[in-house]
Amino acid sequence: MMYTQKEFPDTHAPHLHDWRSTSKVVWICSLVLLPVVVWSIALYRWAAITVWLSSVASALLTQLVVDGLFKRFTLRDGTALLTGLLVASAMPPAISPFIPAAASAFAILVVKTLFGGLGGNWMNPSLAGIAFAYANWPVAMREYVLPTVLAGVDGLSSSTPLAFAHGLAGSGQARVMDAIRQAGYPLSGMDESLTGFLNDSIFSHLGARLPEGYIDLAVGFKSGALGESALFAVILASIILLALRLVKYEIPLAILGSFAILAGIFGTGLPGEFIMGGDVLYALSGGGLILAAFFMATDPVSSPVDRKIATIYGLAIGVLCFVFRRWGNHTEGIAYAILIMNVLTPTLERRLEPLLGPKPARTSV
Amino acid sequence: MSNVRSFRHGGILLPQRIHFDHGPIENAFLPINAIVVLNSASTGRTSRIAVTEGEEVREGQLIARFDGKGTLNAHSPIPGIVRKIIAGKNADGTAVSTITISLAGSFSVLGKKPERYLWKSLNKTDIMHIVQEKGVARVSSGESLYDILHDMRGTSAPRFVLNALEMDPYCRAEEAILLERSADIVDACAILKKILQTATMTVALGESFPEAEVASLLNLAEKAEVHFEIQRFRRRYPQDMPSLIDRTLSRNSGKAVVSLMLEPSTMAALHDAVVSNKAHIEQYVYIGGGAVKESRILKARIGTPIGDLFEESGGFTGRPEVIVVNDPLRGTMAGNLDVAVEKTTRAILALTHDETHSARELPCVRCGACVRACPEGLKPWALNKYAMAGLVGEAADRGLYRCTSCGACAYACWSRIPLVDRFERMKSQGQS
Ligand code: SF4
Ligand code: SF4
Repeated sequence: MMYTQKEFPDTHAPHLHDWRSTSKVVWICSLVLLPVVVWSIALYRWAAITVWLSSVASALLTQLVVDGLFKRFTLRDGTALLTGLLVASAMPPAISPFIPAAASAFAILVVKTLFGGLGGNWMNPSLAGIAFAYANWPVAMREYVLPTVLAGVDGLSSSTPLAFAHGLAGSGQARVMDAIRQAGYPLSGMDESLTGFLNDSIFSHLGARLPEGYIDLAVGFKSGALGESALFAVILASIILLALRLVKYEIPLAILGSFAILAGIFGTGLPGEFIMGGDVLYALSGGGLILAAFFMATDPVSSPVDRKIATIYGLAIGVLCFVFRRWGNHTEGIAYAILIMNVLTPTLERRLEPLLGPKPARTSV
Repeated sequence: MSNVRSFRHGGILLPQRIHFDHGPIENAFLPINAIVVLNSASTGRTSRIAVTEGEEVREGQLIARFDGKGTLNAHSPIPGIVRKIIAGKNADGTAVSTITISLAGSFSVLGKKPERYLWKSLNKTDIMHIVQEKGVARVSSGESLYDILHDMRGTSAPRFVLNALEMDPYCRAEEAILLERSADIVDACAILKKILQTATMTVALGESFPEAEVASLLNLAEKAEVHFEIQRFRRRYPQDMPSLIDRTLSRNSGKAVVSLMLEPSTMAALHDAVVSNKAHIEQYVYIGGGAVKESRILKARIGTPIGDLFEESGGFTGRPEVIVVNDPLRGTMAGNLDVAVEKTTRAILALTHDETHSARELPCVRCGACVRACPEGLKPWALNKYAMAGLVGEAADRGLYRCTSCGACAYACWSRIPLVDRFERMKSQGQS
């Protein structure tokens, strides 16, 4: 017998596993963000490259140093890379590379490591890093520039359409887009032609009309954080996460659902809005809401295990985010909303588990 | 398909079944050396050795006698010389006794036309005696079939279920046996009917079991004067576990409705013992997994090293990551290929990394996959937390002892935490 002497390593039943594994899931999350990175670089050139690089490099380096101290190697689980990417996604382009680097280092060192490493952190590290940046560099974090491709030059500063629109509230315009346009916010030629095409070919048959400007929002021809710049890529990435069932779909749907309903009813402080007439599409597309809802709020470590409780968690985030957006004028409202619910998750679980948690099966023994 | 049943909570959908076309089941070559393990797979207790080293034995000759409840008669699977008798301990301290027999002499069972006893003239006591004498084991658990039937005396109107379910992507032996030996299995049901005095027998079939075969099965049953009630079950792991079949048949009411559950392989052994006067010295073994050249089912003698069976299936196409005895979710791993076929061996699998998806253990990330998988409605991740902290009492309060060790949670676990292994340790800790 050829194989007689060959020993097989000790393993326990079960010998089969689902293909999803913690590190695979993290790697896939990072991978699907790649198009966002590429698109933002196409839009902002160096202004984007420096931010992505400094954030990711700082996250990886910090993790490496921490690993060295603990004599282990955890880089391959991919969590440091993902943290770096997510922190960068919330940064305005052309920001000093020192800020994303500091935010990522804070996320890894303080939030991830001091709370006990992977699985121990009761707050999403990247969100904490982003909040850290907002707290320490409030001005720099709100200085946006126009995409190089739109402005023709690098780093022409501009406020985000969201902040811009807030400033225009009460300007008497019928639509937020028109108000923005009126105030001289640029509209790309591509948007005009594509919107025109869509209106002629599809929407006219449906008796509807897509106003100009939304295509620009989706492809990032506007100023905004890096992650916002490729809304279509973010949506695509989110669909992949859902399709592969890597996130609890209840969380993003509850967030976006509750936010959209509230925004629809009360508006988010934009021009041309009235009760029951909020511009939902506009509200959803801004402020990195979708990216945060799918990639940060769903971090399993800091969100409820049980799906029903996770739904409540998501609804609460949506409401909080709306409150921050409507009255706080914070584009970063979503970050604070999720962080608050992260912190409340243990309480939520303790209170709701007896009511909503899994019920033991009825057995004959 | 009418009315496919399933249990209510949890469970996992395993990847599609491996396609498997089998011809008639063939006999495996006789092993040069057969290693017969004397310990009961269910109790670990050893039967009394009835031969000495150097002695010549016939095929089917008694080599170890049952020694009270929880032990079984053992017979020589091949004709030959008793080479070695070992009464020792495993590496982990558990007692293990084996008899090694080297092939020699002539065959008496193989090649001969099987005898056919007119068992209908036998009474209940005679049949029970044969079951005990021939060392028939319940293949799924290793318990003595005699003990099981003996304990059931006095159960009025017991409900018997013939369990042909296999829920993992590989094992196909039970369905194949039911298809190939349906007449014998039906006969065995008639024998069981005589012992149990039961009117109705439920046949548990998977959703993919061919409809045409069901008709012929019902036909055979009618001829043998047993009444079959066919129940289809959804392919969802771990539906094949007796507790979940029971739960499903009771419509999730929590009342036990099944008194006895046996699988086609056990019924085949029962038939061979009573009708063909054959001791339990053969097992149908499915040989498969991604590292095996050609999946097949062989009828192998007890004591055959699993390496021989892999070789007979064309050997390995690559290096297997793990060798599993029996189903890949609850089965044990084989440390090497000298492990011998026992009365409980139904499958041997050589699995590759692409199939196992094994990975390094990471901390729990609270993904909740285990909660969704658990058919008992437990929270495996929470139990694991208590296991890590050594809090057996806390875990027991949260249902540790309701855990059936089905392995669904550990299959689903993102972080590859050996949940079941940990729970089993904790259970034995709590009991001691
Ligand atoms: S092994 Fe136990 S805890 Fe895990 S799924 Fe099965 S019954 Fe639930
Ligand atoms: S499946 Fe594993 S990682 Fe996920 S919650 Fe359960 S124990 Fe934790």
